[in-house]
Amino acid sequence: MSTIEEPTAGTVPGLYPFPVPGRRIAAPARPDPGAALAEARRSAEEKAAEIVRLRWQVAEVAGDELAECAQEMAIRFAAGGRLFAFGNGGGSTDAQQVATAFLHPSHGLSLPALCLTSDVAVLTALSNDVGFDVVFARQLATLGRRGDIALGLSTSGGSFNVLRALEEAAHLGMLTIGLTGDQGGRMAGLGLLDYLFVIPSSSAHRVQEAQATVYHVLWELTQRALGVSPPDTD
Amino acid sequence: MPVTSTMHPAVGAAFLRRDRAGRALAADSERIALACREMALRFRRGGKLIVFGNGACGTDAAHLTAEFMHPVIVGRRTLPALALSNDCATVTGVSGREGLAEVFAHQLRRWADPADMALGISHDGRCENVLRGLETAEELGLLTVALTGGDGGTVARHGVADHLLIAASDDPAVVKEVHVTLCHLLWELVHVFFEKAGPVGEGMR
Repeated sequence: MSTIEEPTAGTVPGLYPFPVPGRRIAAPARPDPGAALAEARRSAEEKAAEIVRLRWQVAEVAGDELAECAQEMAIRFAAGGRLFAFGNGGGSTDAQQVATAFLHPSHGLSLPALCLTSDVAVLTALSNDVGFDVVFARQLATLGRRGDIALGLSTSGGSFNVLRALEEAAHLGMLTIGLTGDQGGRMAGLGLLDYLFVIPSSSAHRVQEAQATVYHVLWELTQRALGVSPPDTD
Repeated sequence: MPVTSTMHPAVGAAFLRRDRAGRALAADSERIALACREMALRFRRGGKLIVFGNGACGTDAAHLTAEFMHPVIVGRRTLPALALSNDCATVTGVSGREGLAEVFAHQLRRWADPADMALGISHDGRCENVLRGLETAEELGLLTVALTGGDGGTVARHGVADHLLIAASDDPAVVKEVHVTLCHLLWELVHVFFEKAGPVGEGMR
């Protein structure tokens, strides 16, 4: 491949670029390499400052609710509840991290948690036979029960399979927690979540970074509510 | 399990613990930019990115791969990346027979080309299999990048990474959060260099 390729308009839905042959874009003019380095440095510094600010914003806006949510999670765990986490793309890796943070913590109590994107056989079977929209809801309908906890992540708030699963979880009597970004999207409009944490940023990347803090803080506060203090780290 | 109620001050403490590590990241901007410049060069020469880590770091490996394979920004080109923590059959298979220390090195030997990049993630730099993976990558002529935390651990001491980025915290959760930002920066800045250079195949200065 000698030039950068762009999908031909109309061959794929316009949202994301796909590696298909298509119209060729002229390569950009040869730039000053020093300028690229300076731009990259500046960008890294800006993004680093942005996430620090965003975290404090989340602490101010959602601090009390985080404490309350963790208390509710601790009550569910203490009564035998389990945690189910789910999301798409980067959100699926967050769901995995949520599950492993609770199930195999760096310290403290191991608590039952499962990520609903880990079983590729279940995921692809449901997607192929029924549809991608039900991949999490169907698993919850089978595995979940009253007193369990559902934690769904969607940076846009519009992931249909996440919304369907949160509806199913609410229907089952589970504690429902949604993590989303920007204005909250359709997740904010569901009106049935016990806890909704909206990261106020239009950058999907910053939203994901702050979401990682939110679920880690929820984990830490849940441990604390169950009598475990964090070790002395910086 | 008894449930106690002593939490609200803990929220502030938890966020405060993230502040220093978050701020420290900006001081690494030059290191980050230089790593991305070399990674972009490798991508332009047809190299692929191979990422690996354990536990939380394994989820970051998958996340970074998804960033490159399916860019969030419309118009960005997809770049080849592979995470070595995802295939449970291989990970548990190699662990069972050769041992956990070999899970990444084994896959690298089969998959890596000299033009590739290996990116190992370890929250304290003390994961034997990440170290072995980076050593193997170095032997194979790959560009090696490591994301760690704490004091950088054995990954830092053994000097197995051409580019070493250390999150300034000993708390694994905080290190992971900084790594998520680092992964996003790596993706974004690789594209800055990739797209600012001339036509693909000519390399970069």
